Amino acid sequence: MDTLYTLFIDPLTKIYFLKALAGGSIVAVVCAVTGCLVILQRMAFLGDALSHAMIAGVGAGYLFMKLVFGVEAAAGAMLVGSLISAFITVFMIGFVAKVSRIKEDASIGIMYTGVFAAGVVLVSVFGKYIHIDLMHFIMGDILGISDFDMVVSAIVAAAVLTVIIMFFRYFKITSFDPVMAASIGIPVLLFKYVFTGCVSLIVVSAVSMVGVILVVGLLITPAATAYLLTDRLEKMMALAALFGFTSILGGLYLSVWLNSAGGGAVMLFATLQFLTVLVFAPRYGLLADWQRRRNMVPQTVIEDIIASMYKSAKPVSEADIAQYVQTKPKMMKNAMKSLYNEGLISGSDIYELTDKGRTEAMRLKKAHRVWETYLHYMGVPDSELHAKAHVLEHYNDFESIDYIYEKMGYPETDPHGAKIPPVYSDGSFCLTAVYGFSDKDVEIVSVETDKELEVGDVVRITHADDGWAADKDGKRIELTDAEVESMTVRFLS
Amino acid sequence: MVSSDYAIQVRNLTVSYGPKPALLDVSFMIQKGELVGIIGPNGAGKSTLMKAMLGFVKRDIGDVLVFGKPVEQCRGAIAYVPQRGTVDWDFPVTVADVAMMGRYGHLKWWSNPSKKDAEIVDKCLEMVRMSDFKKRQIGQLSGGQQQRVFMARALAQGAQILLLDEPFAGVDAATESAILDVLAEAKKAGITLVVVHHDLATASEYFDKLLLVKQRLYAAGPPSLVFRQELLSEVYEGRLKVFTDLLKG
Repeated sequence: MDTLYTLFIDPLTKIYFLKALAGGSIVAVVCAVTGCLVILQRMAFLGDALSHAMIAGVGAGYLFMKLVFGVEAAAGAMLVGSLISAFITVFMIGFVAKVSRIKEDASIGIMYTGVFAAGVVLVSVFGKYIHIDLMHFIMGDILGISDFDMVVSAIVAAAVLTVIIMFFRYFKITSFDPVMAASIGIPVLLFKYVFTGCVSLIVVSAVSMVGVILVVGLLITPAATAYLLTDRLEKMMALAALFGFTSILGGLYLSVWLNSAGGGAVMLFATLQFLTVLVFAPRYGLLADWQRRRNMVPQTVIEDIIASMYKSAKPVSEADIAQYVQTKPKMMKNAMKSLYNEGLISGSDIYELTDKGRTEAMRLKKAHRVWETYLHYMGVPDSELHAKAHVLEHYNDFESIDYIYEKMGYPETDPHGAKIPPVYSDGSFCLTAVYGFSDKDVEIVSVETDKELEVGDVVRITHADDGWAADKDGKRIELTDAEVESMTVRFLS
Repeated sequence: MVSSDYAIQVRNLTVSYGPKPALLDVSFMIQKGELVGIIGPNGAGKSTLMKAMLGFVKRDIGDVLVFGKPVEQCRGAIAYVPQRGTVDWDFPVTVADVAMMGRYGHLKWWSNPSKKDAEIVDKCLEMVRMSDFKKRQIGQLSGGQQQRVFMARALAQGAQILLLDEPFAGVDAATESAILDVLAEAKKAGITLVVVHHDLATASEYFDKLLLVKQRLYAAGPPSLVFRQELLSEVYEGRLKVFTDLLKG
């Protein structure tokens, strides 16, 4: 108990820790929310640029106050200075990219190093007057956060969050599709400037805590972590905020335990958090991806299994199938599992095709025979037809098959004289093609008759010696062969 | 004379980036409810023409009128369907989100989409047969489905003119016919459709009218008028043989 107390509760009793936690959380949450839009607009590099460019403004602000008013280290002036230098940098980046053939990424590289260098030179030339600890600037000092910084961050965070929430819709659409946004009259450029302004404000307010280099991490990492977990921007922002907070919380504990620099510990924790999610994320994670790959059964195996089950026309075991389909036992097991899950087969140990499975088998058969017919058309020798069609039948996007079938003028048989099953891409089929449909309810997809049958009716159709009959709501309707031939139906799913 | 019998009128349009004009003295009119294809070789100014119709480019000379009014006063009258390659398919938005973007132009900035907006979006998704995919992230759709989502967004805008940028680029046969179905349906609803298209082989089959562009407007009218040997050979210089075959077939 004592160790737990020292590890977790003790730090919470220290004022400096609580201050760092409060200040850091404010900054991290707003950074993370904004960061979502930053990474979606592929502007990560810009955050880096802004944070570096600030140093010139900090130096200039310091110098100005010192020389004009004789005030030492005026925090306000340095803040205003860094904002100005950030805006100048953004403007110059845009300007260079616009008027020359230099693209934006290169332009960012030129401008921010330039402004950063100007800052470094300024600070070293006027070293006599300016007492800035460059190290503090680069590393930040989250554990020694000043009240002034805290107030500034809080104001900035409130302002930026308000803007983003109020204009959320517009930020979303201008990030996603600026051309469309402009076409409905949204001032895309204005939103771009507003957003860049927000990012500058955040970066400037966060630098004093985590430093120039790490601020980019606070902007990008929690947002990227959230990006791996969700497919909605709203949720991504909420999750990013949470990860921003946990980064600060975890990082601060880490820094206390290891007695390390606060900023470094925070970013280390954020990065570890990201890596964990990268591995374990349910959908976009490495582990999920690996699992998917491992359980993946080639479609060709699945389809060969269906085809062989259809051919045998009686319940079969895995061993029976293995005689016709060459595959590893493990793969076979996965294949049967996925067939079962998709409702194509029923049973356990001894399997049987369901109605859905049988329709699927018919469609495969059709694909095979359509391809054979097509290849025959193209002048492929008869001896090669079957082998080639067997490969091609697995390319059986059914709409495409129907398309080819239509282009060939609906041939009734393939080159070997076998009937091409009348099944279609929407899952419907002609009654004469599928056996075992009687005693089951089917939905009529198309029909040509003057009797009381319509598309969409659910009927039960029987075939006896005296002909066909449909049972509709308990009423018996006799059908001629021609009517049955013209009719397509679908199993109720 | 200002007439609103036409959906789009372009008069003496010249646009230039740098010293060489991208479009030179282009004039044409598109009637309401027509399905028009814009064809021309790469770099012929097709996309510039498209941007001009959306009112995005600075014109050197000329006018673009939408339903008889200058294009700048008609924001939202033309809905734009982007080229597939220009969309970030990993963007965290769902099908319903994207379709709802069509309503943004109608919303006041402080108000959320109403029930009516949601109904319109549902109807438009129904029209392109994408209702079953509302909650899907857009990257998890097939090419044809993605195209249909953006069509739904354009329809949700309630615009009377749809501008499509290369909808048939890089899609398979089945998708192509699915897109054509949606175009036909939109046309039936009286919507004017303007489509940038690169495939000459299918152009005459798909469109009522064609505009053949290469800096200037070389021809405008029904495909039979535009597909003339001397015109095509002039516009598509070296690659003549292909088109001789095409004209015969």
